[in-house]
Amino acid sequence: MKISTLAACAALLGCAGSAQATNIEFWYGNTGPVETAIKAQCDAFNASQSEHKVNCVGQGSYEVSMQKAIAAYRAKNHPVLIQFFDAGTLDLMLSDAVEPVQDLMPDVKWDQYIAGARAYYETSKGKLFAQPYNSSTLLFYTNKTELEKAGITQTPTTWEEIIEAARKLKAAGHACPFVTDGDTWRVLEQFSARHGLPIATKHNGYDGLDAEYVINTTFAAKHLANLVEWRKEGLVRLAADTKAGNYTAAFNAGECAMMEQSSGSYAAAAKAFDGKYELTVNMAPMYKGYERHNTFVGGASIYVMKGHDKPEIEAAKAFLDFLRKPEQQMFFTAATGYVPVTTDVLDTIAKSPDAKSPKYATAKVGVESMNQPATADTRGIRLGFYVQFREVFMEETQKAFAGQQTMQVALDNTKKRGDQLLRRFEQTYKGKTLP
Amino acid sequence: MSSESSLFGHRWLPLLLVAPLMLLIVLFFYVPVFQAFYWSFFLEQPFGGGSEFVGLQNFRRVLTDPEFWAATGRTVVFMLTASSLAVIVPLMLAIAADRKIGLSYAARNILVWPKGIAGASIGVVFAFIFNPFVGLMAPLNTLFPGLWNPGIDGTDAFVTLVAAHVWSGIPFNFVILLAGLRSIPPTMYQAAAMDGAGPWRRIFDVQLPLIMPQLFLTFVLEFTESITSVFALIDTITGGGPGGSTSLLVYKIYVDGFRGFDLSGASTQTAILMVFVLLLAACQFVFLGRRLNYER
Repeated sequence: MKISTLAACAALLGCAGSAQATNIEFWYGNTGPVETAIKAQCDAFNASQSEHKVNCVGQGSYEVSMQKAIAAYRAKNHPVLIQFFDAGTLDLMLSDAVEPVQDLMPDVKWDQYIAGARAYYETSKGKLFAQPYNSSTLLFYTNKTELEKAGITQTPTTWEEIIEAARKLKAAGHACPFVTDGDTWRVLEQFSARHGLPIATKHNGYDGLDAEYVINTTFAAKHLANLVEWRKEGLVRLAADTKAGNYTAAFNAGECAMMEQSSGSYAAAAKAFDGKYELTVNMAPMYKGYERHNTFVGGASIYVMKGHDKPEIEAAKAFLDFLRKPEQQMFFTAATGYVPVTTDVLDTIAKSPDAKSPKYATAKVGVESMNQPATADTRGIRLGFYVQFREVFMEETQKAFAGQQTMQVALDNTKKRGDQLLRRFEQTYKGKTLP
Repeated sequence: MSSESSLFGHRWLPLLLVAPLMLLIVLFFYVPVFQAFYWSFFLEQPFGGGSEFVGLQNFRRVLTDPEFWAATGRTVVFMLTASSLAVIVPLMLAIAADRKIGLSYAARNILVWPKGIAGASIGVVFAFIFNPFVGLMAPLNTLFPGLWNPGIDGTDAFVTLVAAHVWSGIPFNFVILLAGLRSIPPTMYQAAAMDGAGPWRRIFDVQLPLIMPQLFLTFVLEFTESITSVFALIDTITGGGPGGSTSLLVYKIYVDGFRGFDLSGASTQTAILMVFVLLLAACQFVFLGRRLNYER
């Protein structure tokens, strides 16, 4: 009853801004400094030409944006462009509601996108479905000032070194050496990718809808069990253990000394640290003895929705072209910390006088991280109802952190519940094949 | 029928007058309800690309899913604890405010104010009040570290939720119960007092029996309300966590449907929840309502 009521409301809201010939809508989910940057890009596009006008509508979060898009699509009032996050890739690929960008704009040099960013959003035949927009990846942040106070001069690069450093910090009276929120993207997906571990069979679902989760049997299970032990020892803190109640805020305020977080957080951290602490940003830590592979691209990409007439599609193309321009990507990177993912932009940054400027700090290390050697299991995640799987993972692992069950039991349960989701997804999209 | 036609000259006029309201109810209640029941027999693709009739498969799946039963169990526990407290606490306040004690007049006003606060705002405020580092429990936490943390401990989170719900339920129930108490003729107390009944005796033998209709009303509303209205509190205080410990059925439906795009699963649970609420209200009327005496 609630669902459809809300859906109907959302649909009604959707009609409020109906499209004119060259007036199109773009829905995005970000807030804060990222939203400011998105709006600036929209304004710049509208000011740069008079043929098209894009109306950028913030929906508050990726999920809300998607909920409204679903309702609006069913009511045929959907926007032309919609930004959506990594985890929903398969849902959109099979939805039949979006037009692959590579079909729409065959002449664009799509191979300029670095492989790590392409693989996540392309079909098994290599056709790009969405245009990567705010791309990020997982990085390792430290508060260098605090580390040095505890006598740690070398920034840790491995988990073993992090724990050693954490013990020193704890001995020096630091209450929160390393902080995480235990989020699926950070502790499972990016961990598995860079250690070359599969998340599910069939190469994380790329080879068919009949994949099954394997997270309870890989080295990721050991790492997650380690996190539980480290938390008991006081080396690792969860978001709820911190005074700030939010792990990024806890790190930015100096309460915690190290964290794993998206490159998209760089701008906020740098601003908060300014004049107080020194910040370092590096590739996410590895366990000793494991070869480093690429991290997944995170963040979100832009999809073109079906069911619009030609002038609207033209306007959408023009806006996507605009966003791909090197100066626009550089502006966005500098303003947010998201990573540019086309080679021409990376070259432009390298040649620019600001190449070493902190505003491009995440670009270099982020791209380096995504450009590590790939395997068939590090292309991305192509699993159905994956957003729901993330919820399941969080729920079960939180029980493990609270001591209600062991991490192994938590992961066994997650696998079991995750597989049920996959089977239902398979049945829901019966007869459809992966593009 | 004659009394109606004497009020309205035209046969269709009364229908016409209620039509706008009926239209809204149909549009925003019956249509979605029908849709939810309909979808619960299908596997529905989020973007409407196609749907497959699966008969009772969704119901079989949901009813054999331990997570569904866990959420239902939490819903029932919440209903019993939070609703009971949400009636008992205002009842105590109402009895106190009904007596001619100092400040009772002011209390009758002040206790109604929380009615003006939205559930989500209450949630935000209670999240602060029960924050383990800066809230009410912070001093206890400094004495016994780790004693209270709703972000880690599921029971703590549940208690926070119950407290917020009870607080938000005070004004309405308080008004209803106080009105009931005020309508009891003072001669009843006087007679009881003359017969030697003390204040407690008067509460249990005179006041409570005489406000049974009001108590019944508040209980019925609370029991059914607590199942659905807790959504805003969960969303702002706990987000269903930690570890799903505050994921009540109404919140689980939202997460499955809106965050997970599992329209069929969410619809099926909606249908089950709706039947449950209807049965609950029916039971209350059949077993309790009949025994009530509305005459005085």
